[in-house]
Amino acid sequence: MRAALSAARAHPFPRLLAGDWLTLLASLLLVVLLFQALWQSQGASKLRIRQGDTVYATLSLDQKRTLHLHGPQGETEIVIDHGRVRFLRAPCNSQYCVHQGWLTRAGQVAICLPNQISLELLGKRKSYDSLNY
Amino acid sequence: MRWLARQLSLTVLLLLGACADPPLYQAQSYVFGTLVDISIYGAPEAQARAAADAVLKDFQTLHQRLHAWQPDSELSQLNRALARGETAPVAADLADMLNDASQLSARAGGLFNPAIGGLIRQWGFQRDEYTPVDIDPVRVEALVAAAPRMSDLHIESGSIRSDNPAVQLDLGGYAKGLALDRALRQLRQAGIQHALVNIGGNVIALGQHGERPWNVGIQHPRQPGAMATVALQDGWAIGTSGDYQRYFELDGQRYCHLIDPRSGYPAQHTQAVTVLIPPGPQAGTLSDVASKPIFIAAQQQRAQVAQAMQVQHVLVVDEHGQRFLSRAMADRLNWLDKHAKTQLLF
Amino acid sequence: MQIQTTPQDHHIARLAALAIGLHMVEAILPSPIPGVKPGIANIVTLFVLYRFDLTTAAWVSLLRVFAASLLLGQFLTPTFMLSLSGALTSLLMLVLASRLPRRWFGPVSLSVLAAFAHIAGQLLVVRLWLIPHVGVAYLVPVFATAALIFGLVNGLVVARLLASHDAAPRS
Repeated sequence: MRAALSAARAHPFPRLLAGDWLTLLASLLLVVLLFQALWQSQGASKLRIRQGDTVYATLSLDQKRTLHLHGPQGETEIVIDHGRVRFLRAPCNSQYCVHQGWLTRAGQVAICLPNQISLELLGKRKSYDSLNY
Repeated sequence: MRWLARQLSLTVLLLLGACADPPLYQAQSYVFGTLVDISIYGAPEAQARAAADAVLKDFQTLHQRLHAWQPDSELSQLNRALARGETAPVAADLADMLNDASQLSARAGGLFNPAIGGLIRQWGFQRDEYTPVDIDPVRVEALVAAAPRMSDLHIESGSIRSDNPAVQLDLGGYAKGLALDRALRQLRQAGIQHALVNIGGNVIALGQHGERPWNVGIQHPRQPGAMATVALQDGWAIGTSGDYQRYFELDGQRYCHLIDPRSGYPAQHTQAVTVLIPPGPQAGTLSDVASKPIFIAAQQQRAQVAQAMQVQHVLVVDEHGQRFLSRAMADRLNWLDKHAKTQLLF
Repeated sequence: MQIQTTPQDHHIARLAALAIGLHMVEAILPSPIPGVKPGIANIVTLFVLYRFDLTTAAWVSLLRVFAASLLLGQFLTPTFMLSLSGALTSLLMLVLASRLPRRWFGPVSLSVLAAFAHIAGQLLVVRLWLIPHVGVAYLVPVFATAALIFGLVNGLVVARLLASHDAAPRS
């Protein structure tokens, strides 16, 4: 091995084969795509829960927690799960809020109108001030 | 040697970052059966709070007066009188609203029609919660055949009557927009220079957010979160009609609250229509009204209807999720999904 | 009891010792970005794969993971689990990659592919076990970049070692 190492110094830079270039090119493409896919959207770090016209709580998203809130229609269950949040159960008939599923990015909003509870994800930089829907 | 795990979590936290609260006053309330959100920038908190409270109070009053299914509201009393064929007294400001709504209805070729309260009730959208209704084709057909129109109304010196007893007023597609215009005037009078008012998704901007204009996200009709953002300059308003906020599903079919007055059935060929309205005394009202006839119109007629409504900025998402937009709208939108495919509407 | 050993066994043992040494040096030296490491011990794994065979390379790689973690007192700690998962996934990738035609794909290809497999295995453990947070996704591009760079550099080193090793007499 020592002989090999010393001999290496005398040798020229190793040449890359065609397949090596192909591998490198594909890898570079993968890295670029990963950056595009995963760094484009702003991650959220906090959750704001509003109930009626007041802020019920502003919580860290970095936890596993289940919340039970009581609105005009009954009990709404909200789950925070390490970086994401969703309505799990709601007393309303429409269940739109539950169907919204997980919220993960800053600026995303889920509202349960009948029970007057809203979830909003806050991030370092919100991409918009308000949502038109 | 748990440091690696600790270091990794630290990196995650650093990358996610903590957020700093902007100098912004925000008030939220539930009015018009939806979420109302007022953001005021750059005003002392006491002043901002007072202004927002006054606006919310005005909304509440307007909502109670124009409520289409609370029996004691001003509008419900009017509707009962119209159904009996009587001449009823009408408040001056309500008469103005109805005249204005009649004009807009004529401009929209009847595709915006606040006289079809009977149909809206039939489809179960005059309730706080939308649950599937038994579709009654005979009844729907009868309601369409009765042809209630805004032009059936005669408003003179403080009284109103209808040639057609089938006219049942529902200002659901008008009141929120009008409220935006009123809010803008009220906020200006209160000395507020920068604010953003959002009533159930219809938004109007006053001034800007610090150094930059107010930025509004446009909801993706089938995913949580926005599909695009738009800078809303001073006085501009934005409104969307979508099939995803008020609807029910029956046998795999989606029935939304936007009912085609010609057929009596909910429009099913559109997911969402967004319009952007330039500053003017009726920017808010138009942002609420103008999207509806475009939503209901057939794809080939949309450009024509938009022009009749004098709307330059339109975005349409059709039933397949395909996006069509006007050239003027294309210049204003900032797509969050960079691979979004769009086609030109006009 | 006396075990018969061949010069080749000694050679492999020396290489394994070298791998363990490199692993420990890297474990002790601080890294500018937490969690990002060049993985120089993988040079030995790849060298063994070319000079001997895949089975021997797997032995050297796994022996290194276990021995180094025992020596560093990390056995069965999160660090060890990360090393092991990375080593296993990169070996798995080498099983597949070593079937690529040697005429076209050299040690650089294998090194880069193994490096990507290595971080994929590690990030999987991180996401599932150590930090069950969707934010881990934001780290993926960073680690992928590191995999590309260090995979390339390590692969070049292996290619050069092999070239010189061919020229030099076998030790």
